[in-house]
Amino acid sequence: MFKKLFLLLLLTTLFFLVSSNILVAQQKIVLRLGMWPEPTLKGDVEMFERWKKEFEKKYPNVQVVPATYKYSPDTFVPLAESGNLPTIFETWFTEPQKLIAGGFVKDITNELRKKGWDKLMNPSVKNILSKDGRIYGVPRDAYALGMYLNLDLFQKAGLMNPDGTPNYPRTWSELAKFAKIIKDKTGKAGLCLLAKDNAGGWHFTQIAWNFGAKLEVQRDGKWYANLNSKEVISAMNFVRDLKWKYNVLTDDPTSEDWGSGFEAIATGRSAMYLGAQDAVNQPTQVYGLPLDKLAIVPVPAGPKGHYSLMGGTPYMFSAKASSEEIMAALNFLEIMGKAPVVTPESLAGMKADAENRIRNGVPVIPSFPAWIEPNWLKAQEDIVNRYRNVNMALYNDYYNWIKKRGVLRPEEPHLTQDMYAELTKVLQAVLTNKNADIVKLLDTANKNLQSLLDTYINKK
Amino acid sequence: MFRKYRKDISGWLIMLPGIILFSFYIWEPLLASIVMSFYSAKGIRLERFVGLQNYIAVLNHPDFKSAFSNTFSYTFWSLIIGFLVPIILAIILNEIIHFKGFFRISIYLPNVIPGLAVTIMWLFIYRAGRTGLLNIILGNFGFPPQAWLTKSHLVIPLIVLFMTWRSAGATTLIYLAGLQGIDQELYEAATIDGANIWARLKYITLPQIYNLARTLLILQIIFVFQVLYEPLVLTNGGPNNASISLMLLVYKYAFEKFDYPKAVSVSVIIALVLIILTGLYNKLVKENEM
Repeated sequence: MFKKLFLLLLLTTLFFLVSSNILVAQQKIVLRLGMWPEPTLKGDVEMFERWKKEFEKKYPNVQVVPATYKYSPDTFVPLAESGNLPTIFETWFTEPQKLIAGGFVKDITNELRKKGWDKLMNPSVKNILSKDGRIYGVPRDAYALGMYLNLDLFQKAGLMNPDGTPNYPRTWSELAKFAKIIKDKTGKAGLCLLAKDNAGGWHFTQIAWNFGAKLEVQRDGKWYANLNSKEVISAMNFVRDLKWKYNVLTDDPTSEDWGSGFEAIATGRSAMYLGAQDAVNQPTQVYGLPLDKLAIVPVPAGPKGHYSLMGGTPYMFSAKASSEEIMAALNFLEIMGKAPVVTPESLAGMKADAENRIRNGVPVIPSFPAWIEPNWLKAQEDIVNRYRNVNMALYNDYYNWIKKRGVLRPEEPHLTQDMYAELTKVLQAVLTNKNADIVKLLDTANKNLQSLLDTYINKK
Repeated sequence: MFRKYRKDISGWLIMLPGIILFSFYIWEPLLASIVMSFYSAKGIRLERFVGLQNYIAVLNHPDFKSAFSNTFSYTFWSLIIGFLVPIILAIILNEIIHFKGFFRISIYLPNVIPGLAVTIMWLFIYRAGRTGLLNIILGNFGFPPQAWLTKSHLVIPLIVLFMTWRSAGATTLIYLAGLQGIDQELYEAATIDGANIWARLKYITLPQIYNLARTLLILQIIFVFQVLYEPLVLTNGGPNNASISLMLLVYKYAFEKFDYPKAVSVSVIIALVLIILTGLYNKLVKENEM
């Protein structure tokens, strides 16, 4: 009798333990937050801690787990395949199609529709994040290429206006002249041109567009490489002149990449550099350039156009995440002020971000809107105005320019990274060999890209 | 029947952990990648059998030709620049009487530093402009600064020079061990017979390390044929593919494009080339021996 009672007691306890566990497990949604800052960025971590606390108060059924992850192609696949990818993480605008094709990221169309955000996304951004009508990510922000200036060097070269704004080049031919003046007067490079990795082709695309180039064209439903048009040839000739006629580039452009370019601007190794507003913490916070020594201006116009290449940083979601986890992640974006909604929390999030920038010596300047929700845009603008820590005269031309119709241009649509790789090869040949045969090199690049387009795009 | 093998059981038992580890960590991935090269895949999940399509795509890729010929060029230069260096160093070390330990450690030191750190150090040595170490040194003799790694005809020898600096020490120690195994009486007898230092080198030292050198030669070819991180960090394959290698192509397929089937296809091609090279080499050496 006693034995039976004991057994019953044991079984009931066991049952309660198991069921309560299941209940807890069902209740607590775990949100693994991949964009959690690295421990060395103390200010950023504190900001995220505050957001976490606030979030968990508002959504007590969600547990936020910091999972610092910086997207990098060489670690991504093992992490994704082993199911260890954070629920939400940042990547680059060149990656989404690759990640979607590999089945590494979650289709979040339904969740976005529930929130109503699918209609608020900047259409060209939405395009980058979608495949076959389904959406796989949300933008953190977008970027539009402009030109970074080191005002110290402009000052030394006598290129400052009396009102404290720089007298900067408006066209590429002016750029060559200005760069020459800077080189002659300061001994430093006028322009930091990239030619190490695909970023070389990326920046060159920006130049070539302004010379009137269209690098990929569609005819009769097929895609054709157009890397050897006369516009591209003249853009490449211009680059050759920068190196061999004017000699205004840094010592070895083939060793310059995205990061070293910002280092060059910050340390005064170069006076000008193509860069976008989203990387403004690079020269300032990372390399310590004082705020009053930095300006961002429009990219010089070419003979046949004046475009700004746009791209950006999206948030994407682990393919293994459940719908609830996706919703939790989207809710967290609201708290951060990165979602297209104006709530007290999102306003506080934007403020916290601005205050954090001020503490770290990063310019508080408008971000490039990846959402088109008017109230949210207005709220963002108000906060930037309130926390302004730079002279906007050093940035106004850039912002006014990218607001003009037809200036922004998304990257070429197909095998973009392969196209950049081909262009980088030509750049490297031109920048290292005075007598490189530009037409022949571009013919080869064109043939190479065409064979890739035929293999991967036109076949389908 | 069973009794016949019973005396072998303890042997097999001793080998068992090794066999398990080998099959799990080495043979299984190897076979899996060969299988994968015949499939299309999402990430590393196989999708469907595509036959030789991956190989055809890889061979037709514009970068393959440069990568293939460059890889042979790396091997060629490593034999020109790198093969004799450890032998000479070992002979010198063997002859040194004072500070032997110091020199041995000095020569081995580059092997102790992590590979990437050394590569970045050499990046500063080859750096263009007046701040590069090589340019600073040459500048003292009146040479203008050069952008070393941008010269397409020089870039592979320069990378090989760095690789030799880095790995010659380890090979030197192996040769040194070989040299010290030579019976001293041979030298004494030769000296009594009136052989000078060159004769002793020619008739005793070199024949004694011939077998060692033969093995290390093929190992060096196999090693250099898979050169990856030196060009990856120093030049990323540039300028204009002048330093891209087959392994770098594998890296680009796998870690830039997430196209694993094509990455393993190139790996299989590398393995095939190495098997052929080794076979040829062994055949040649055998013929010479006869």
